[in-house]
Amino acid sequence: MKFYVCIKQVPDVNAPLHIKDGELIQDADRNILNAYDASAIEAALVLREKHGGEIEVVLIGTDKAKETIRKALAMGADSGIFIQADTDVQFDSFSYAKILSTFFADKEYNFILCGKQSQDTDAGLTGSMLAGLLDLPYVTNAVGLEMTGNSLIVKRQGDAGQELIELPSPGLVTCSNDMNDPRIPNLKGIMQSKRKPVETIPVNDLPTDSTAIKTKILGYEVKPAREAGKKFDGEPDEIARQVARLLDEAENVV
Amino acid sequence: MNLNLLERTYDLSFELTEDHQMIRDSVRDFVERYVAPDVIERDGKKKFPFEIVKMLADQGLLGICHQEKYGGAGFDTISFCLAIEEIARWDASLALTVASHTSLGTGHIALAGSLEQKMKYMPDLTSGKKLAAWCLTEPGSGSDASGLKTTAVKDGENWILNGTKTFITQGSVGHIYVVLAKTDPTLDTKGISAFIVERDWDGVNPGTPMHKLGMNTSDTAEVVFENVKVPNGNLLGEPGYGFIDTMKVLDGGRIGIGALSVGIARGALEESMKYAKERKQFGKPIGDFQAIEHKMVNMAVEIDAARLLVYRAAWLKDQEKPYTKEASMAKLFASEAAERATLDAVQIHGGYGYTKEYHVERFLRDMKLMTIGEGTSEIQRLILSREIKKDLGYYS
Repeated sequence: MKFYVCIKQVPDVNAPLHIKDGELIQDADRNILNAYDASAIEAALVLREKHGGEIEVVLIGTDKAKETIRKALAMGADSGIFIQADTDVQFDSFSYAKILSTFFADKEYNFILCGKQSQDTDAGLTGSMLAGLLDLPYVTNAVGLEMTGNSLIVKRQGDAGQELIELPSPGLVTCSNDMNDPRIPNLKGIMQSKRKPVETIPVNDLPTDSTAIKTKILGYEVKPAREAGKKFDGEPDEIARQVARLLDEAENVV
Repeated sequence: MNLNLLERTYDLSFELTEDHQMIRDSVRDFVERYVAPDVIERDGKKKFPFEIVKMLADQGLLGICHQEKYGGAGFDTISFCLAIEEIARWDASLALTVASHTSLGTGHIALAGSLEQKMKYMPDLTSGKKLAAWCLTEPGSGSDASGLKTTAVKDGENWILNGTKTFITQGSVGHIYVVLAKTDPTLDTKGISAFIVERDWDGVNPGTPMHKLGMNTSDTAEVVFENVKVPNGNLLGEPGYGFIDTMKVLDGGRIGIGALSVGIARGALEESMKYAKERKQFGKPIGDFQAIEHKMVNMAVEIDAARLLVYRAAWLKDQEKPYTKEASMAKLFASEAAERATLDAVQIHGGYGYTKEYHVERFLRDMKLMTIGEGTSEIQRLILSREIKKDLGYYS
């Protein structure tokens, strides 16, 4: 079994950050492995422990992001592909998918696992777009994976409940962070990760249409603070009357 | 153009390497997920946390700076300091367990052990299957460690060990004891040797855990050795070199206490900042008052200074350069900085800081060991006085 896991480095949303003049400023400059991707790696590691196989992680990013590949290797992935991008190019979901599809075009694999979205944009598009470009069957929002023969039985969280879907190889799954509790790299893993192979591919070596970038982030805005709610005083039936009157007067409520 | 600038080498670096950052981040993640949540409850119950120690062992934290061939993770002393600081940030007792196991008991075997002894004992210790306890202090000999009364008398293929050790970390839960004993009563410090003793040998009597001011979930006990037969092969290091090796082990141990102190002080600052933001008096957060701001600034400056002293001592040890003076300075300054920081943290928290609802009262109690263990502040000043007099030509 060969698994690819697509991973991304994102700003640590728990570290201090703020928005200034439409730009996101990271006060602590702390970047982490996207939590959904961490769940995808964990899922692949569990499958490998049970059924054997090989896990390769793929990351598109600037040189700074390469450290996130090491984190994945320290968790237990076997090798990494670093698709090296320039600092001044801002990719969107489609361009990420396009670059990845070019990379995967001549690769052999059983399953590609992705996080269902990334914590920085929460767009949740790249995985599905990649499956589309590669013409692969795919399942989104997976909360559980089991292997039977050459297929994955994917438990996915749907609107009405959990669905079980059989996904033949080769296929693609986008993983929810509800699927598992990703392991924290142990010290031996960190030591071994130094010796694992990471291949660097400059992004320009992957022939991708320059018009692949379809959208652009114009700026960031701080979400306005929620307005204070209204407090009601008095006896219960009086409060009920007040609330009913308010709802009656408000537009589009009752 | 200044040519000196061009030729300048950049050996001195204040940046952590990628390895160091990964270790710090992974230990921090681990501690925040598994150690921090129940630390107040554990402190109240005062029980040795076997489960968490086992989890730390699985993370490789009980052999962090020991060689891979002996089952360790093979990292350097700075990595060790980073890990100890991260654990001590939330749970100083647990950090003490890791530091003493790693740098004292196991550290002495790594320093002085024969290849056979290391192959026999270290894999179980670095993997945490067994815990090490280092037995130096006795009821009658603390700072004056050379005055120890425990004896080991040669008897054919064995040594017969007799004596009482006290304040032994992992004394009641340990499996492997490294014991210092007099092997030649006619000599002073040169008559002291070290032995590796196994818990289940006849005559090894671990006491019950002691009740302490703080460090409640770190195990401290008396251990009595009564006619214990120690095979010749368990003499650790050269006969008569036990005290010399002990001084080296203590130098390393002081780096650990320094890192532990930095962790406690950082906890004091971080908890104070959080509280100062939440707590409002006179219509604004108390963190807006200069009296509180200055306390926190002092903490931050001293934490950084202490950490740099600790890293320097660790770096010298890794470079295999002398570091007695630097380790002592790091331990002295860091422990006293932690003392000031934890006192101020309780003060900032006011009445709440005096209760067990908040972390800072525990920090204060745990901190007090830092100015006592591995040589009191007074002993550090004694060592440092000798060192600086030597450096500045007082004796010549």
